[in-house]
Amino acid sequence: MTSSLFRVCARFMATASTSVETTMSYPFSKTALIPPMPVGEFSPGLIQGKGLMQHLRKTLFTPEKHQMIQTLFSRRSPKQLVPGSIVTVISDQAPTLFTGVLIAIRRRGPDTSIRVRNILQRTGVEMQFFVNSPTLKEIKLLKTPSKGRMRRAKLYYLRDAPDKMSSLAGSKSLN
Amino acid sequence: MIGLKSTLNCIDNSGALVVECVNVLKNKVNNGWGSVGDEIVVVVQRARPISAASQASVNAVKVRRGDVRRAVIVRTRKQVRRPDGTFVRFDDNAAVLLNNKKEMLGTRIGGIVSADLRLKGWGKIVSLAPRVV
Repeated sequence: MTSSLFRVCARFMATASTSVETTMSYPFSKTALIPPMPVGEFSPGLIQGKGLMQHLRKTLFTPEKHQMIQTLFSRRSPKQLVPGSIVTVISDQAPTLFTGVLIAIRRRGPDTSIRVRNILQRTGVEMQFFVNSPTLKEIKLLKTPSKGRMRRAKLYYLRDAPDKMSSLAGSKSLN
Repeated sequence: MIGLKSTLNCIDNSGALVVECVNVLKNKVNNGWGSVGDEIVVVVQRARPISAASQASVNAVKVRRGDVRRAVIVRTRKQVRRPDGTFVRFDDNAAVLLNNKKEMLGTRIGGIVSADLRLKGWGKIVSLAPRVV
């Protein structure tokens, strides 16, 4: 009885794995998330480790993430995020939607993160989102700063100046 | 990072306004610092005045200044890391009073709470809160 059940399970797992081209099956869990193996030919120099960081910079991110990073965080992009703009972050985890003022952009390649501040229920809340996280779906720009550019890269002074923050916000009602 | 002598705002309707932490429970590893979702022992430093009329009514247990109670931390100024890597930071420290059986003393929560409470098993508080981040 149990042996026939095992055989059925093995057959199911085998068919599931053969339908995907570059993922291997993990025999100990059906629900494990297995990232796809890197596709492509690797030069012998790369296998040794030469030019590894450059290769990783191109291939570590999914193409959608790479696109997002290029448009929003590259310093030459016309649509780059500027501190002081109002931004909505859409993510998989709670909170799924977080709107607020962008007070800091930390550019560190794969560790790039943004800090968004908002005042909810009379309490200030700040969240730091890492851009390359798979749970971060989208960063939507709602409003650029009214005078074009803030005179600071990091707007931590807004923590002590709620009036300046509300003037940045304009007449928005963030929830 | 709430430890001895840390003051927290009490955001339920139990009557307390400001509580001071005296001890962090169940913490063999955290050097005596409490974070969101940790149970602490507090002393009530400031409480809402209890009128004689409301003393008779049995709405919620009203605490007085000087009471020693248990509480759970719901907001911290120190940022807390979520499993997906995001950090959350609030502008103040806040707690909700409890009795010895881990049940809330108040009946309502007036303020935002952290979503990390759900992970630590305080689903009741999360469901009562008007806003969870």
